[in-house]
Amino acid sequence: MVSWNIRPIASALWRNRTGAILVAIQIAIGLAVLVNAVYVVKQRVDKISRPTGMDTANMIFAVSAGFARDYDYDASWREDIATIREIPGVKAASMISNIPLSGGGSSSGFQAKPGEATPEQSIPGNTYLVDEQGVAALGITLSSGRPFEPQEILPPSETFDSASQAIVTKAFAKSLFPDDANPLGKSFFDGLGKPIAIVGIIEHMHGAWVGWDKLDHVVLFPRIKSGPSSIYLVRTEPGRRDAVMRDMEAKLGNSNPGRLLRWVRPMDYFIHQSYLDDRNMAIFLTSVTSALLAITALGIFGLATFNVSTRIRQIGTRRAVGARRLDIVRHFLVENWMVTTAGVVVGCAGALAVGYWISLKYELPRLDLYYLVGGVLAIWLIGLFAALQPARRASAISPAVATRTV
Amino acid sequence: MFGYYLKLATRNLRRNLGLTALMIGAVALGIAVCVMTLTMYRAMSGNPIWWKNDVLYAVTMDFWDPQQPYWDDKPELPPEQLTYRDALAVFASDIPERKVIMHKATGILSLDGKQVKPERVTTRVTTKDFFAMFDVPFQYGGAWTDAADTGPEPVMVISRRMNDTLFRGENSVGRRIRWNDNEFRVVGVRDHWLPLPTFYDVNNGSLEEPEDVYIPFGWNAALEIYSAGNTNGWKPEDITSYQGFLDSENIWIQMWVELPDLAAHDRFRNFLDNYATEQKKAGRYQRPLNNRLTRPDQWLVDNDVVGNDDRVLVGLAFAFLAVCLLNTVGLLLAKFLNGASITGVRRALGASRRQVFAQHLVEVGVTSGLGALLGLALGGLMLVGLRALYTVDPADAGGTQALAHVDLTSVATALVLALIATMAAGLYPAWRIGRIPPATYLKAQ
Repeated sequence: MVSWNIRPIASALWRNRTGAILVAIQIAIGLAVLVNAVYVVKQRVDKISRPTGMDTANMIFAVSAGFARDYDYDASWREDIATIREIPGVKAASMISNIPLSGGGSSSGFQAKPGEATPEQSIPGNTYLVDEQGVAALGITLSSGRPFEPQEILPPSETFDSASQAIVTKAFAKSLFPDDANPLGKSFFDGLGKPIAIVGIIEHMHGAWVGWDKLDHVVLFPRIKSGPSSIYLVRTEPGRRDAVMRDMEAKLGNSNPGRLLRWVRPMDYFIHQSYLDDRNMAIFLTSVTSALLAITALGIFGLATFNVSTRIRQIGTRRAVGARRLDIVRHFLVENWMVTTAGVVVGCAGALAVGYWISLKYELPRLDLYYLVGGVLAIWLIGLFAALQPARRASAISPAVATRTV
Repeated sequence: MFGYYLKLATRNLRRNLGLTALMIGAVALGIAVCVMTLTMYRAMSGNPIWWKNDVLYAVTMDFWDPQQPYWDDKPELPPEQLTYRDALAVFASDIPERKVIMHKATGILSLDGKQVKPERVTTRVTTKDFFAMFDVPFQYGGAWTDAADTGPEPVMVISRRMNDTLFRGENSVGRRIRWNDNEFRVVGVRDHWLPLPTFYDVNNGSLEEPEDVYIPFGWNAALEIYSAGNTNGWKPEDITSYQGFLDSENIWIQMWVELPDLAAHDRFRNFLDNYATEQKKAGRYQRPLNNRLTRPDQWLVDNDVVGNDDRVLVGLAFAFLAVCLLNTVGLLLAKFLNGASITGVRRALGASRRQVFAQHLVEVGVTSGLGALLGLALGGLMLVGLRALYTVDPADAGGTQALAHVDLTSVATALVLALIATMAAGLYPAWRIGRIPPATYLKAQ
């Protein structure tokens, strides 16, 4: 029968407790940080990798800003759009009022019935003005209905944006008409009571602000954005995005001295920028937590090495009186496991406390216990590996050491 | 004696290089992460106008939707901006020593004769007190006059950076620039100025660089300028003209006042309350009377300039430093106890406890000093990396590029803090080793 010798190991440990306590505290902090870091990073990664509903990999935006006093906005955007649509590799191009997922946009409240609405009855939507190629250029899927027709596109309006028709996302339609499975053709109302007919329903699409829980409430109106600056949305065939961007810069860059082609950028640029803080937080947490665990592992390693080096004679003696190498390895591993476990017990409490604080700060659901279980297992493994090398070195000590004087 | 201890310390450190490297590395890493996080935190949370914290006030008034407050999470606070009409009405008061109403816009700058490419610039449409109120430094010239605000006169202040681009750094006062194809005359060149965070307008990112161009507020109506920051409204209004927009309930104007003493503060508060009461009679301001004058430090808190991520990161940095220090204590202890037989001989030969303690403390000092130096270098590297993480497009001005300006005070603070902490951590092992009775280690083993 294998004897684990828990009692003598524990009492030997207790006699030299300072180092062990220091390591246990490190482990406790390490566990508390690890569990919560993984939890927060998971939230961020989930957020960043949500489907957008758009063909983001092949989308380009360009902004043209007219500044000359005699700038003819109407003629200019028509010419630009025509030029862009002729570039080889372009699938569709549309005027658009804002850039989705860029952190800048426009939102309004809408309601299912006209008249005074309570705050709960007012359903917010990210609004975009697009032309007849808008749906194709965004690369969104219509689950029912149709895109806008060319003759439906309204001219620029200085101030108010809604139209009598709209294409909306399923999520927005569901919020407006919770009981209606297919509200195609129904009308909803803007804040002034103007009716808007739903001509198409988008399966899924993201709007302006990635931190907003109504991100998937999108409303497209058939209207040209007002001047003097215009935003062009272009969707290319797969793999031709960069070539089309170069063509656009060459063709639009100097075509009109009354305006400035501010930039031509891929959609990925805006997505990257919008999720920058989330991505950086994930990177930062991951690297600091890894460094912290590495340092903790070094601490465990240092303690085990120290314990071995002060007990060389004792180990030699044990070997001389019949202990096998395996017994020596087991001794140090069990000793180390006790330290780790003491740290883990304190660390669990710490992890839950930190988790509670974080869930308050971020208004997240409470820490899932699976994370805690995973964290404990990970810390046990790290402790085991950190102590393995010193334990094996201890087992290599020759029994002859016991007979030497110094 | 100190020199001798120093020699002993370096010899001891060299005796066990692996362990030494481990200790120094742990201290360095702990300090580096702390320096980096604190620098970041300070950049985002410091009060960049602390010397005027007692006299500057952001003006906010609650005229919002009677059905629901402006902030979901802070229903007690009014909106952070004012409507155009309220801003103008309150601006007419002569109680404040200085006052400013303003917003951010964008424009295209060009010069006659095509020497430079037209460039899009962020522009602050503001009143002349902006410069004196926020202690904005000038390289050439100065602010415009009161008359220029209302005139409005075609005058402009540009940043030093813009002056370098357009006029190669020459004194450009009196030169002509076109802004959205309208001619302006330069009256001043703003020197380098980087208030972090940009407390005076917290709408779109508080780590933006200040605007490159400043023009008088009166140009809004004349040139029909819209805000490039946030415009928010609550009331469905059928707006059909720019004048309609100016008269609407949309908020887009920021207002600050300088009130020299409490008496002026109270008088101006009264003025605001009277104005709101008047407006109530006219059917506006249907929410409970809630006008606020907020000092810069409270303003930054109210507007969540310090995000939750930052607080979590600071907590993490301190947890990290704690682990590094515990590690160092443990390793130092192990190291000192390992050399206990030598210490035993010293004690037996007549070294006092105090001397043994001092000798080991010198060793701790050398270790933590080396760690701190390495940590500083490492922290610098991490900040460079951090900047790379936050830079989306190097050609883009603003954004979090402002992080590039690390201020030395915060680095020094973090460093001194870390050094003291490490030294304190070394006290226990040094003390412990002095307590060992020499006889134990003079025995046969």
